[in-house]
Amino acid sequence: MPLNSDALWYKDAIIYQVHVRTFHDSNRDGIGDFQGLEEKLDYLQELGINSIWLMPFFPSPLRDDGYDIADYNAVHPSYGTLEDFRKFLESAHDRGIRVIIELVSNHTSDQHPWFQESRSSQDNPRRDWYVWSDTDTRYKGARIIFLDTEKSNWAWDPISKSFYWHRFFSHQPDLNYDNPAVQEQMWNVMKFWLEMGVDAFRLDAVPYLVEREGTNCENLPETHKVLKELRRKLDENFPGRMLLAEANQWPADLRPYFGDGDEFHMAFHFPLMPRMFMGLKLEDRKPITEILQQTPEIPSTCQWTLFLRNHDELTLEMVTDIERDYMYDTYAQNKTMRLNLGIRRRLAPLLANDRRRIELMNGMLMSLPGTPIVYYGDEIGMGDNINLGDRNGVRTPMQWNGETNAGFSAAAPERLYAPLIHDPVYGYPAVNALRQHASEHSLLNWMRSLIAVRKSTGVFGRGSIQFLYPANHRILAYVRQLGNETVLAVNNLSSTAQAVELDLQRYKGNILIEMFGKNMFPRIGDLPYLLTLGPYQFYWFRLRRI
Amino acid sequence: MAEESFLTDDFLRQLMNVGEVDILVGLPTHNNAKTVGSVVQTIQSGILHGFPRDRAVIINADGGSRDGTPELVTGISIDDMRPSFNLNSLRTLHSISTKYASSPSSSVAMRTILAAAELLRAKACVMMSPESANITPEWLSKLLRPIYNDGFDLVTPTYRRHKFEGQLITNLVYPMTRALYGLRIREAYSPEFGFSSRLGSQFLAQNVWNDGTEGAGVELRFTLAAITGKCRICQSFLGEKDSVERRGADLVPAMRQTVGALFSAMEPDFPAWSGIAGSQPAPTTGADQEVLLEPLRVNRKRLRSMFSTGVVELESVFQSILSPSTLAELQRIALLREDDFHYPAELWVKTVYEFAASYQKSVISRDHIIQALAPLFRGRAYTFLMENRNASARDVENNIEGLCLEFERLKPYLLQMWEKGK
Repeated sequence: MPLNSDALWYKDAIIYQVHVRTFHDSNRDGIGDFQGLEEKLDYLQELGINSIWLMPFFPSPLRDDGYDIADYNAVHPSYGTLEDFRKFLESAHDRGIRVIIELVSNHTSDQHPWFQESRSSQDNPRRDWYVWSDTDTRYKGARIIFLDTEKSNWAWDPISKSFYWHRFFSHQPDLNYDNPAVQEQMWNVMKFWLEMGVDAFRLDAVPYLVEREGTNCENLPETHKVLKELRRKLDENFPGRMLLAEANQWPADLRPYFGDGDEFHMAFHFPLMPRMFMGLKLEDRKPITEILQQTPEIPSTCQWTLFLRNHDELTLEMVTDIERDYMYDTYAQNKTMRLNLGIRRRLAPLLANDRRRIELMNGMLMSLPGTPIVYYGDEIGMGDNINLGDRNGVRTPMQWNGETNAGFSAAAPERLYAPLIHDPVYGYPAVNALRQHASEHSLLNWMRSLIAVRKSTGVFGRGSIQFLYPANHRILAYVRQLGNETVLAVNNLSSTAQAVELDLQRYKGNILIEMFGKNMFPRIGDLPYLLTLGPYQFYWFRLRRI
Repeated sequence: MAEESFLTDDFLRQLMNVGEVDILVGLPTHNNAKTVGSVVQTIQSGILHGFPRDRAVIINADGGSRDGTPELVTGISIDDMRPSFNLNSLRTLHSISTKYASSPSSSVAMRTILAAAELLRAKACVMMSPESANITPEWLSKLLRPIYNDGFDLVTPTYRRHKFEGQLITNLVYPMTRALYGLRIREAYSPEFGFSSRLGSQFLAQNVWNDGTEGAGVELRFTLAAITGKCRICQSFLGEKDSVERRGADLVPAMRQTVGALFSAMEPDFPAWSGIAGSQPAPTTGADQEVLLEPLRVNRKRLRSMFSTGVVELESVFQSILSPSTLAELQRIALLREDDFHYPAELWVKTVYEFAASYQKSVISRDHIIQALAPLFRGRAYTFLMENRNASARDVENNIEGLCLEFERLKPYLLQMWEKGK
């Protein structure tokens, strides 16, 4: 299956996020690798996804799960070789699956040779590749992001006897984007992978590239200038490739990252995700409609990226204090579940393993405007291990079957990079891909069907959205429209059955075709359209004028 | 034949859309456009400050306003206030309104609100006045928290009032309710109070809606129902009560609502009150009651003259209501010079008790009995003003307490009169 040649392919993408380490181990060393990942491409193709987002797989001391890169142009030996990556990429492309890789552009590992050179002496040619200072008092307006571990954004370097700037962990010094040589080098890194055939980059931590005194050092015009230049070079040299921004910001602050369609193609919609969880718990559409109302229009070639869970904590940075307290009290009563300003849990445990809620959340993920991301393992309802430190509890090995090591690796269990989930509810004997593959009504097979229906129309990826505001506030309803195609999505956020009257006068005369069973529902007439929905039920209807 | 539903289909549809709630705020209205807007905003603010996570609804039962009151209630959005109050609501805050079919009636409005509370399975409810000029967001918490958190069934307010304000309450309703039912509730008749769904449903099921009283004084009857139903009751201090709200009320209609309701309840409640002697304080949050001392203009001369005229003109009526000794004493004091005029507590209590007994016997039309008490109350009010003209807040409270004790002391006299009438 060849890759489709549409330059806007990312609008129709369904992205599967995975860390190569977690997926499948082919060489029995207890760590997932590219050969293993390649072996599992059939599984992903069958699931229906058409893009893979790989977390960092570069050489790294792995003090931040690979987001501390020590060499941008190679593969971490634990995961294989460049050749292995190249083979995986080709195999993915053969299946019509695009590959998105990480570009951790804001910082490197302190083990990166660039930093080692930079710190070696004040007059080293790479001294200015990082942000150095004689004091730790500059840029006081910048917040500390990893509050649980860092006390300052400056760290003392005993070698060069000065302070270096870091927005994340102190072992991750920030690159100095005021230096044109750094910008040029980052483009060289991109070029290296693009020439190999990589389809897109997820640019990590983009708001923080440039620092200026008297600001909060986020979202600065100088940062946008750097990013626009990278985009210009990308379009000029590699048309059809894509840039995805990771910028955990409010929608209005995110909007500039799209520029006039000349900066990022896509950006994560961070504030929406916690509000979907909030709306579900409150049984009220308000948090969801409110944040989407505040979401500005973006250029037609751009797209939001939506997700329910990912490799990080469920971030609560983009919520108010009262909302954060509510989220903690309802989703993370056990304080060990909390990390930084977030909740380090997977989807299924967050939703108390309630299949109906898991389906509803995925239904919204696939029908709200944007490109959805499925985090590996969530398609089978994998659990987490909150006893593992940092965010490692949501990064445990993929559960393929109920056999030794969950089919992830043939290594001795003690050699696995992380322990498997063993508990009776989420442990691999109970929750695994093989078992769910064989069960017609499993979550895995339901997800395949959901993705297939999503892919049956371009309206979800590219259509407009119009919210309906039925008087029943437990119902989240919206109409997606693209050309002549119209889809109505109705979601019951409540744990109880609900009746709702929808004002569909605009569509009078249409009949409704339920998109999963393809059954006909009554024609829209003069009266409000009455629907009843079971607890957490959702409908997708195609509107047809016949 | 099944009773016709008193809730309209449209209202039921609105309730269905709201669904189950934690907090319900009842707001009966009739032509309150001047004040209702700020009241609703304050209520919304109170909900958001005090109950930001809870499911809440404001239910407006309107008696056919022609000034756009219901539209004001439902049209006020919390979003309008957000910038100025820094409010952030997690949930949809509902405001719904219904016009009931009959003419304006606090009883129909309350019945509608109680029915809504039952249908929505509200955990804690509060009734608010659309005219409360002094309402603050904290009132919501003060009236709801004891129910929501501490398991009380009824929270009645206490206020900071001027010493001469609310004399019908201080000279009759409070002391008599206290003596009858044995519980010291300062504001048994108030447009603001909190209640549990249990009490709401219990009262809704009672035969008070079609008992011929046309629901007069339903708020007072609600309080009495809570007492006789052995519900947990407490008081909560709200602060200053706007005097404007009640100043315009005519005495006779006010007496129908309060004294009429109290007298009406005495017959069915006889088993509950007849065996009670003395009284117990109700648990109270905040001040028990505060008295303000700044000047308040009252036409004392007119009060006394209306008393004297009433005693003369209504002599034949009083003959069928009062005992000869009580009537003779009233006629005696009616002739006293202004400086010497004094309507003593004992005589006042006996007067009231004899009226209550006559009300039970229906010696004449019950409404006439209530109307006939009005001039006598004016005489008592005159004495209260004179006695407390220079009194400190503590003295005023002591005088009210003295009157209450007199009502309690003479309760056997009431029972005697009552039995005599059987």
